[in-house]
Amino acid sequence: MKILEPYWGRRALDFVDAIEASKTAASVISQFEKVIGELGFHAYIMAGIPTSGQSLAELTVANGWPAEWFELYNRENLHVADPVPRHCFNTLNPFEWKDASYDRERDRPAHDVMMRARDFGLCEGFCIPIHYDDAIGAVSIAGERPYLDAETKGALHLMGVLTHGRLRALIRPTAASCGRRLSGMEAEVLRWAARGKTAWETGQILGISERNVRWHLEEAQRKLMTNNKTATVATAIVNREILI
Amino acid sequence: MPEIHVVQRDNRHLYESYFDPYFRLRHDIYVKQRKWMALDRPDGREIDQFDTEDAVYLFCLDGGQLIGAMRAVPTLSPTLMSDIFPYLSIRGPIHRPDVYELSRIFVVPERRGEHAGPQVEMLLLTAIMEYGISIGLTGFSIVLESWWLPRFARCGWRAHPLGLPQMIDGMSVLAVLVDCDETTWKSLCGQIGLTNPTLTWQGLTGVNRQILPDISLHHSPAVQPAR
Repeated sequence: MKILEPYWGRRALDFVDAIEASKTAASVISQFEKVIGELGFHAYIMAGIPTSGQSLAELTVANGWPAEWFELYNRENLHVADPVPRHCFNTLNPFEWKDASYDRERDRPAHDVMMRARDFGLCEGFCIPIHYDDAIGAVSIAGERPYLDAETKGALHLMGVLTHGRLRALIRPTAASCGRRLSGMEAEVLRWAARGKTAWETGQILGISERNVRWHLEEAQRKLMTNNKTATVATAIVNREILI
Repeated sequence: MPEIHVVQRDNRHLYESYFDPYFRLRHDIYVKQRKWMALDRPDGREIDQFDTEDAVYLFCLDGGQLIGAMRAVPTLSPTLMSDIFPYLSIRGPIHRPDVYELSRIFVVPERRGEHAGPQVEMLLLTAIMEYGISIGLTGFSIVLESWWLPRFARCGWRAHPLGLPQMIDGMSVLAVLVDCDETTWKSLCGQIGLTNPTLTWQGLTGVNRQILPDISLHHSPAVQPAR
């Protein structure tokens, strides 16, 4: 194992210190955009991985994609064909977009997504899967000709994971914030949980995957700062975010 | 409810019967399942140079069975980070009396995941904080697979990276320093519903222990209704 020249190592550690000290999501995002820009990346997304019946937009933590691409991707539900999020289910490690393989002959839709992304300057990319017990997310970044080697990949991996974590912590509403905080789907999933339905059953009822039900429960749990499904349902009822 | 036992030099004789299954479990998990082939030994046990008299083990026992464990080694002694992976720490090696290095953190496969009753992984993560506070530690250094980072963040473990993740045998690995403090311990206890310390210190009356903060009245944010 060769010892890497530590420029990007030190840069990444300094970055992590800086975002830990930052108090707003906007400040964290602007630092992230600046640092990935230095490596030739101009676009990024941080989101849960959507599966059937779900759009990327509902699961997005931070969106730095070109506006037209994000709109197109959601309108046409391109995540269904996109080989990059699909590959996140196969690996715990970060990977380059070109390593999210697909069959070019048989899987034309996958090839189309990758080609259409190029129209927006998303030619080469790097994706960092984020695995929890019950949900998978990713930080995916792209550019026209970004600079990637073992060292910068390590730096992007570290900065991506910690930026995602920091944003989740900062976006979390404080206990003092008022009003409804859950999305419509999060409230819906909690209503079924309150009736004793499992994630699988709720998925059947709503026509979405079990994994997505878990993702919504997870997001609701995060927003309400609770520790498990029962506490999330109880808090949502107390706060009148759901009625049963 | 599984019990977490502190096992070290002074009381190891009380747990001698657990060590053989323990080393075999480590071989099953790290060599057979995770394919860390450098650790392979023909006798089917995984024992390395850090299993010394200085090592401290947390054994998670349920009904007389070992279902999870963790090892802690003083960083004043040789550690994985100092002897095997020094290049993972750009900020230099850690040799401090108030920091122990954690390694071999595992739960047996049949007790992982949310459907297996008590969350053994969370219990271990909570117990080691209790251990650290009890003996006056302020941090834990760990060389770990990078996918742990978001999981740590989610349960409230504050992990500060010491260098860049690097690919080792096909898996991304990095070095971190985790804060060991009362806030983290209390938060973890709240998350898993513990209202009392969880460690068993059988045969360790000679160990000087700090007094733990009271957690019996701890309330998680969940019970505070929003205005």
